Amino acid sequence: MRPVTPWLLLSLCGGLPLAAQDPPPMPDMPGMRHDNGMSMPIPMPKGMVMLPGLVGLLPGVSSFLPGEGVNPSGLPLARASEITPLKSGDTLELTAQLLRRTINGKTFVMYGFNGQVPGPLIRVAQNATITVRFHNRIDLPSSVHWHGVRLDNRFDGVPGVTQEAVPSGGDFSYTVHFPDAGIYWYHPHVREDIEQAMGLYGNMLVDSPDPTYYSPANREQALVLSDLMIHGDTLIPFGREAADFALMGRVGNVTLVNGEPEYALTVKRGEVVRFYLTNVASSRTWNISIPGVPMKLLASDVSRFEREERVPSVVLAPAERYIVEARFSQPGRYPVVNAIQAIDHYRGEFIAEVDTLGWVTVDAAVVSPDHGSAFTTLKANAAVSAEIARYRPYFGKAPDKRITLTVATNALPLTTVQFMSIDTAYFHPVEWVDGMPEMNWLSTAKQVRWILRDDSTGAENEAIDWHVKRGSVVKLRIFNDPKSFHPMQHPIHLHGQRMLVVSRDGVPTANLVWKDTVLIPVGSTVDLLIDASNPGEWMLHCHIAEHLGAGMMMTMHVGTP
Amino acid sequence: MMTLRGRAMQLALVALLWRGVAGPYDIVLLPGPRVPGAEGDARLLFASSPFGVAVTADGRHIYDIRITARGLPDPRTLGAFRNYVAWEVTPELDRWHRLGVVRNGVTTVGQADWNKFLVVITAEPDSAPATHSGPTVLHGTSPSGWLQTFLTHPLFRGISQ
Repeated sequence: MRPVTPWLLLSLCGGLPLAAQDPPPMPDMPGMRHDNGMSMPIPMPKGMVMLPGLVGLLPGVSSFLPGEGVNPSGLPLARASEITPLKSGDTLELTAQLLRRTINGKTFVMYGFNGQVPGPLIRVAQNATITVRFHNRIDLPSSVHWHGVRLDNRFDGVPGVTQEAVPSGGDFSYTVHFPDAGIYWYHPHVREDIEQAMGLYGNMLVDSPDPTYYSPANREQALVLSDLMIHGDTLIPFGREAADFALMGRVGNVTLVNGEPEYALTVKRGEVVRFYLTNVASSRTWNISIPGVPMKLLASDVSRFEREERVPSVVLAPAERYIVEARFSQPGRYPVVNAIQAIDHYRGEFIAEVDTLGWVTVDAAVVSPDHGSAFTTLKANAAVSAEIARYRPYFGKAPDKRITLTVATNALPLTTVQFMSIDTAYFHPVEWVDGMPEMNWLSTAKQVRWILRDDSTGAENEAIDWHVKRGSVVKLRIFNDPKSFHPMQHPIHLHGQRMLVVSRDGVPTANLVWKDTVLIPVGSTVDLLIDASNPGEWMLHCHIAEHLGAGMMMTMHVGTP
Repeated sequence: MMTLRGRAMQLALVALLWRGVAGPYDIVLLPGPRVPGAEGDARLLFASSPFGVAVTADGRHIYDIRITARGLPDPRTLGAFRNYVAWEVTPELDRWHRLGVVRNGVTTVGQADWNKFLVVITAEPDSAPATHSGPTVLHGTSPSGWLQTFLTHPLFRGISQ
């Protein structure tokens, strides 16, 4: 039963005044100082105060930043991502390395692939097979996971499951086959909370042989969305022994598109731009739009939608991809924004927040050819529907597997426990930003264990041992428990397979698409149909990097037919 | 005889206790003074969206509202009314957005997308009135309306540590 606090009852009955009062002043403490002059080790949302009981506390881990002891001046300056076309049979040398990056005028030591952030955009034809020789030259063990690609299990890049971690200075050769057209991404599967956040990510764009696969566009743009937590001249360090920000994941205070704080694009009047959106942030879910510019949704993780549709904005949970087209019909300057409703937990209010991620400038010169007519047409993708039709007989079957998403904690600061035990009257379906970053920062993966619990056996996380036949269609029901200690959304990712979201909270999905990552809001029950066609041992996990680091992962064995 | 304040406190307590057992997308509907025997609830369902959660461009969640009502009398017994109509209403009662006609039983009405809102059901002469005019028969607060303020809480006053 949901707790009803005596304090809340008293408040509503007039026992306590609810008039606004200023919070108490914060005592000074050594270390970084917040802009408001109060001591604050991490950036706080505007107007939010630190709980007095947490002032002066530090996470129970030592701190880590890339390149400790390295002279930054000797490191190469990060370059923008370069498109790298590869033919089947080609080999790519891919090196993870230390780099210098300048963000908002501040220089930091971070990571990148081949000197680039994002890493090289690998462009291949559907059904191509390439070799990637990975060289780990960073100061942590690493690997490369080919997110969303239904490849040979040996090359999935998961230490402890498909390979050993590649030590610093080590190498590993991956064979990557691309059976599906679309936009994918690669990233390490070791300490994602550090390595991915510090710049180890890149796209793979897989082209269909069908030139009419998407509606026509004048231009393509890959937008890789991420964020960083920066205070003054300093990156907020990471937990060395275990992830910090374990409760909610690290939500940065600086948003980045393609590794830069401001995206810029100039187009001609009437241009149709196809945007390939990828969310590589550790925890942030985005709501992207270009006010005044119509957008058409084409595809997501592993396929096109059954039907193109107009959308006012694009919601992307961590690791999700969406492909949209936008038509810029009038000259002018248009912001690309992330617009969300934050919660001020202190005042119990919603706050509209708009991050301007960049600008699109539209020239007066008219584009040629004009794809305006095709843009206004919403295409039905009969081939997608026809393929999905083979799976419809399974839509109504009882779930084969059931998972509940929850969390267990121990030894959190008393104030954190007290606050989270009473702030239970409402949970946002999606926490777009971190309203309590100091509380979140102090929680580490030593104290927080995020849980995938098998409803039928009670087994949790890595103790879950699922075996399914190759070629079977598995219905998985996932319930995100709203009564856990910290209810929040989870983007659940399944490696090496594809899946359909057939219903949410009992409501059938109207426009289907093949996915590899699915957002599960607080309190929701989502039915997934997994096309278990790719043999091997595959991970299923939450793609909030800190939740993965705090145990929220399991494996599914896809065996012989 | 119970005072108006006492009645309000009683209803608030009932709502709070109901919140204790309801899900995060449930709204208890309390009766208006003209229909003390009416009761019901509303369920917020995510509106259809290709992204799994439906939101407006500025990030407000969009819900289909499914109302279950019981004990509503014939609206004509309340005056010159023929329908019950559900509204999405701001907590300040300054904006009313018509959701649709409600009857006893389960009715899925329109979509609500305000951050905090009330669901108010009124008796109306028409099925699609531009503004509300009749008595309130059922009303409830969205789960987001229960979002607490901690302005005076000891945790923020440094008392508990």
